[in-house]
Amino acid sequence: MGDAMQEWIEILLRSFSLLVLVLFSARVIGKKNMANVTPFTFMSYIAIAVISALISTKVIKNIAFGFIALGVWVLLPVAIDYLSIKSKLIHDIVIGKGTVLIKNGKIMEENLLRARITGEELLRDLRSKNVFNLADVEFALMESNGEINVFMKSDKKPLTAHDIGKKVAPRSESQTVILDGTPLNEPLTSLGLNQGWLKTQLDKMGVSIDNVFIGQVDSSGDLYVDLFDDSINIPQPKVKEMLYANLEKCHADFMKYALETKNKEAKNMYQKNEQKLKELKEKLEPYLLR
Amino acid sequence: MTVASQVKQTLANLKGIQGTLGIYSVKSQDEETKTVFNEAINTINGIVEDLEKRIQTLEFEEPQYEGN
Repeated sequence: MGDAMQEWIEILLRSFSLLVLVLFSARVIGKKNMANVTPFTFMSYIAIAVISALISTKVIKNIAFGFIALGVWVLLPVAIDYLSIKSKLIHDIVIGKGTVLIKNGKIMEENLLRARITGEELLRDLRSKNVFNLADVEFALMESNGEINVFMKSDKKPLTAHDIGKKVAPRSESQTVILDGTPLNEPLTSLGLNQGWLKTQLDKMGVSIDNVFIGQVDSSGDLYVDLFDDSINIPQPKVKEMLYANLEKCHADFMKYALETKNKEAKNMYQKNEQKLKELKEKLEPYLLR
Repeated sequence: MTVASQVKQTLANLKGIQGTLGIYSVKSQDEETKTVFNEAINTINGIVEDLEKRIQTLEFEEPQYEGN
């Protein structure tokens, strides 16, 4: 009975200390995402897990031996990681290089064999990248962690503002300033705003802060809110759209005046400014309309 | 509505646009956006000046509507 009791406590202590140890070694190993680790790193994770499980359940009786094994499996991968950052050669040996699977739109069958994937698997991975036609692929590469990345033929790529030669206004990410009905001071100050400003904006919308689930300020300084009470419809900021509409109205006014006036000098003035407004409209469009 | 009062309305509209652009220029975090808005304010300034001159002439021509 006494022996069993002792063993019970020993396993408890072993498990507890190993849990703390593994927790810290996980921090040492780094922040890699589980989904894209290389096979080698994956195996070292499993080795660490198995060794610590064996120590904690007393399968490995000698705790010192257990810790030696654990230490090697924790520290050596860290050392190899460090070396592979410093040296390209070690990096290529340990982590491996990507394998080109499709080049110039043609599948490289021998590389497929080397990466040990079948045509079926290649097609499946392409589909998971939303590529259903092999004909659309210009280049595909299997990364060292087995992920396949695809470069589409240039006419099959999504259209960007750059492609159509359209200017777009720079836009940065929105800052969350209200969460669960509580104003967040840090993002507010980083925007150069304060709670007084927030209160004014909410008063303008006619909502109380308790009713706001999430509130965000976009890069142009407009506040967008989502309320707990979804039956309330609040006006979302449309000031910029109104501004643009106003500009268009002024432009139209100038055109009208230019047509109506009999005075030569006035006609010239109206036409000149009409042109100015037209240019202004074009320049401001990306900033005012999205 | 007389021509003068119509032009005055447009003038008020332009000044309103200027004001809103000013607010956005101060509010925006991005330097490029600020510059664009400030340039727009300057352009409108020129137009406003032209329009004010024109209103003076119009009021001189139709003095009975002055102040409308």
